[in-house]
Amino acid sequence: MSARRDLPERIRRGIAVLETTLLLILLAVMVGVATYQIAARNLFGGGIVWGSELVHVAMLWVTMIGAVAAAGTNRHIKIDLVARFASRPLRRLAQRITAAFASALCVALGWFSLKFISGDFIEGTPGFGPVPAWVCEIIIPVAAVAMAFNYLLRAIWPLPDPAEPDGPDTPANDLDEDES
Amino acid sequence: MIWAGTALIVLMALLGAPLFVVILAAAMLGFLAVGGTPASAVISVYEITRQPLLVALPFFTFAGYLMARANTSERLMALTQALFGWMPAGLAIVGFVAFALFTALTGASGVTIVALGGLILPMLKASGYSDRFSLGLVTTSGSLGLLVVPSVPLILFGVVAQQLGEGEPFTLEQLFIAGLGPTLLMVVLLSVYAIWIHGGVPRAKFDTRKLRRALVAARWELPLPAVVLGGIYSGYFAISEAAAVTAIYVFVAEVFLYRDVKWRELPDIVREAMVMVGSILIILGVALGFTSYLVDVDVPERMFAAMQEHISNKYMFLILLNIFLLALGAVLDVFSAIIIMVPLLLPVAVGYGIHPMHFGIIFLANLEIGYFTPPVGINLFISSYRFNRPLLDIYAACLPFMGVMLLALILITYIPWFSTWHL
Repeated sequence: MSARRDLPERIRRGIAVLETTLLLILLAVMVGVATYQIAARNLFGGGIVWGSELVHVAMLWVTMIGAVAAAGTNRHIKIDLVARFASRPLRRLAQRITAAFASALCVALGWFSLKFISGDFIEGTPGFGPVPAWVCEIIIPVAAVAMAFNYLLRAIWPLPDPAEPDGPDTPANDLDEDES
Repeated sequence: MIWAGTALIVLMALLGAPLFVVILAAAMLGFLAVGGTPASAVISVYEITRQPLLVALPFFTFAGYLMARANTSERLMALTQALFGWMPAGLAIVGFVAFALFTALTGASGVTIVALGGLILPMLKASGYSDRFSLGLVTTSGSLGLLVVPSVPLILFGVVAQQLGEGEPFTLEQLFIAGLGPTLLMVVLLSVYAIWIHGGVPRAKFDTRKLRRALVAARWELPLPAVVLGGIYSGYFAISEAAAVTAIYVFVAEVFLYRDVKWRELPDIVREAMVMVGSILIILGVALGFTSYLVDVDVPERMFAAMQEHISNKYMFLILLNIFLLALGAVLDVFSAIIIMVPLLLPVAVGYGIHPMHFGIIFLANLEIGYFTPPVGINLFISSYRFNRPLLDIYAACLPFMGVMLLALILITYIPWFSTWHL
C-alpha cells in the first residue's frame, strides 16, 4: 500500500470500527427496548410511551450505518452483469466509474437531507419523547458524507475483485473479504 | 437533458452502480422533470421510520446470521434425517425439507447452499444418488423456503404491499399462512420427482434411538417455531416484537446454551447482518421517493391502461407476469425486485382481479425459480463456487428441477386456492 493511500485507508478503517461499535449498541438497544415493551405491556399494562418510536429511529440509524459499512466494502446490492461477464480490467474500470457516480450522488443526498433537517432544527420540530427531530434525522447526512468518502476511495483505489474465477458476492468471499 | 440523464442512469445501473444510488438518481431526475425539487427524493429515506413492521427485518436477519454461524444446519439435518430418512428417496426429501426450513430462517442469501449443501451433497452421493441429481438438488433448493415465515422477502413484500393499500386488505399473519400451501406443494412435487428418479436407492431404517438423539440435540432450537409464531397468533405480541423475542431467544440458545458462537465473534456477526439490513432498507428508503414520483405521474394507471389494450384477460396477464418475473428474478436480487416492481405491478394485477396476497405468492415463487434460472441466477454461481464445478454442469443439473418447479408455479398461479384458502 502506498504512503499516499495509507492515511485515507486508515480513516476508513477507523470509521469501520466506529460503525461496528454503533451497530452493536443500536441493535442491543432495539432488542432490549422492544422486549421490555412486551414485558411491560403484558405484565403491568404499560411501557415507555415513546419506546416504539425510539426503536424505529434506531432502525433508521442501523440502516444508514449499515449502508456506510456496505459502501466501504463494495457490498451494496447491484445488478452485476458486467462483473460476471466482463474481463478483469474492464471490471475495474466499471468499479471506478460507478464508485465516482455513487460518490457524487451521496454528496447530493447529504446536501438535500441537510437542507431538510436544518428546517426541522430552526423550527424545533419534536421527534419522540424529549428528543428533537433533527437529532433523529442527522444520521442521514452524516452517513451520506461517509458513503461519499468510501466511494471516493473506491473510485481512486478499486477493491481487489472478489469475483475470480466464478462469480462475485459468494458468501465464502463475504466471510473473509471484510476488513482484512 | 432529461434523456441524457436517463441514459446515464441506465448505463450506471448496467455497469454495476449500487442500486440505491441508481434509484435515488432516477427519483431526483423524475422530480426535476415534473418541475419539482430533487429534495423530495431524499425526504422519503426518513419515511422508513414510519413503517412499524420493518423493525422485524433487523431482528430476524440477526437471528438468521447467528444460526448460520452456529451448528444449526447439522442439527437440522440429523433431525430431518431421523424423521424422513426411512422413506423412498428419503435423503432427497430430507434435503428439500431441511433446505426449506433453513432458508426461511437465514434468508435465501446463499448461506443455505454453502452450509447445508456442503453437508448433504456428499451424503447424497454416498447413498447412491447420481451426481447430477445431487448437484441439482442442492442448487435449486437453496431458495426453497422463500415463502415460509419468517423469510425476510415475504415480510418485505407484506410491508410494501400494505403501504400501497391496493385491492383487498390483508394482514401479515394471513400472508404467512398463504406461503405455506405453495411451499408444501413444491416440496411434494419435488419429492415425487425424487422418488421417480431415485426411489430405488437403499433406504435407512426408521430408528427411534436416532430420532431421540436428534431431538435431544436440537432441544433448544425446536421451540423456535413456537417462539416465532406462537406469540403472533396468540396475540401476546406484534410481529416486530416476535422478531425481537426470536433474536434474543436465538442469541441465548447459540451463545449460552449450545456455545456454538463465541462472544468475540458477535461484533462480526452483527456487522454482517446489519450490512445486509442497511443495503436492503436504504433501497427501500430511496424507492419510497421514487414510487411516490411514479404514482404522482400515474405510471401504474397508464401501464394498466396500455396493457388492457393488448391483454384482455387475467390468464393472459398471468402468463406474461410469470415470464417477466422469471427473467427479472435471474437478473435482480429478490429484495430490490420486491421494492421496485411490486409498486408498479401490484396495481395492474389488482386491476385484473387478482388478490394482492395471491399476487405476492406468485411474485415470490417466480423469484424463487429465478435464483437458479440459467445463465445468471445467483444460486448457480454460489453452487459452482462452493462445490468447485463448472457452471455448465450446474446448468444441466438444475434443468429437471426447474421443470418440476415450473409445474408447481403453474399450479400456484392458476389455482389461487393454494394461497388464499384461509381467507
